[in-house]
Amino acid sequence: MQRRWHLALPLAALLLSACATVQPWQRGDLARNEMAFEPDPLLASYRRHVEFSKEAASGGATLSGGGCGCN
Amino acid sequence: MGRGMNNDGAKKPTAPAKPSLSALTAAALALPGLAPAQVETDLLYSRYQEADLPGERSSDGVDHPRYEIDTYLFRLAAPLGDQAVVANLTYETLSGASPWYVEPRQAGVDDTPVQVMSGASIRENRADVQLTWALPLGGIDWGVSLGYSTEDDYRATSGGIEFEYRPLGSAHSLSGGVGYSYDKIDPVRGARSLDVIEAADKDSLNAFLGVSWVLDARTVLQTAVSYGLHDGFLSDPYKRVYVVQGPTLIADSRPEERQQFTASARLRRYLAGVGAALHADYRYYRDDWQIEAHTVELSWHQALGEHWRVVPGLRWYSQSQAEFYAPYFQTPRSDGLASSDYRLSPYGALTARLDLRRALPGDWEIGIGGEWYEASADYAVSSVAVESPGLVEYLIFNFRLGTRF
Repeated sequence: MQRRWHLALPLAALLLSACATVQPWQRGDLARNEMAFEPDPLLASYRRHVEFSKEAASGGATLSGGGCGCN
Repeated sequence: MGRGMNNDGAKKPTAPAKPSLSALTAAALALPGLAPAQVETDLLYSRYQEADLPGERSSDGVDHPRYEIDTYLFRLAAPLGDQAVVANLTYETLSGASPWYVEPRQAGVDDTPVQVMSGASIRENRADVQLTWALPLGGIDWGVSLGYSTEDDYRATSGGIEFEYRPLGSAHSLSGGVGYSYDKIDPVRGARSLDVIEAADKDSLNAFLGVSWVLDARTVLQTAVSYGLHDGFLSDPYKRVYVVQGPTLIADSRPEERQQFTASARLRRYLAGVGAALHADYRYYRDDWQIEAHTVELSWHQALGEHWRVVPGLRWYSQSQAEFYAPYFQTPRSDGLASSDYRLSPYGALTARLDLRRALPGDWEIGIGGEWYEASADYAVSSVAVESPGLVEYLIFNFRLGTRF
């Protein structure tokens, strides 16, 4: 376990340092709709529903809601 | 489309959006679909069509039609001061046949597994409503959701709380959520399912935690972990399992608990030179049914002129099998568990997608899209000894119409 922390801490420090230089006024392109993690929530939720009903794996950075009797 | 394509999408590729943190938080790091600036309405019609089960994989040697699903989704998002409400309504009509059980083509002579379908065409409807209330509280954006889904034999009542914390001026944001669902199944008895259970239920809990990082002026990354716990009736009440010894058919029987874990990453990179955004997603999945899965998704969001956007995408998925899965069994397992559901079998799947959007005058948007999906042992990350004959192939066509005011 201690060895894992030795690996994780430098990685976290690297990510933090990599993120610290962008000022708000430099972020214009990040505000574009197509840069959103989920630019199209309706289509994304539909696709998740289809994949949930056809595959064993599910889950991620969203709540899954209720199930269905999908076959 | 709502947030799928807004006025930003109509700008020239190199034109910067409003250079402010609020603009950033409105899109790149925000909870999906929450906190709209205007009332957004969005309609999606989808036609889902599974390919026929080919005769060489069916028990009687002839092709069998499978599911067709028509889905209507409507989304309304409305700001209420610094709060917002989001409603998602879904109505589906399903018809067709589904895999019932798998048997050897000719026991003792030809052990090739072949699929037996459910026979008479199934026809049912599903309606689903999801309501979300978004509000800022204590410097954190919150989303509270309630949902209800009903179909002939299945009801699900769900709720959840999500949050997103964006420290002012920071390049990071933290998001998370906890959700619960109570699902009840009342199987419909048919000519080929006389011995199904009376009724059953399950409880599901899921949670996720994510961190988003602004890596540079054109790159964002989100990493997340999620956990799911399901407790109750997790079997399929209609499916059967063929046991050679006898021979006999037994009920699909799965453990009454399932724990699921995922670790995922989503990268967004804007390429100003070509006016496009690259999306790259990866998800690792593991559960205590011994299924391990990998999912990779790539999509390219290309602006064409001032009004068009084209989004091609590819998805690859691979899973290993559940420990109690087999196409069929020689003898019953000692623990009483058994399933021949192709969704618990080892396989991989490829998806190819193409979506086209056009912005119209008056903040209207219109779009069409298509998707092809094929599951096959050939796409699995590990070699598969015996492919399930029930693996699915489908086509989806969708039509979109949205506006904001």
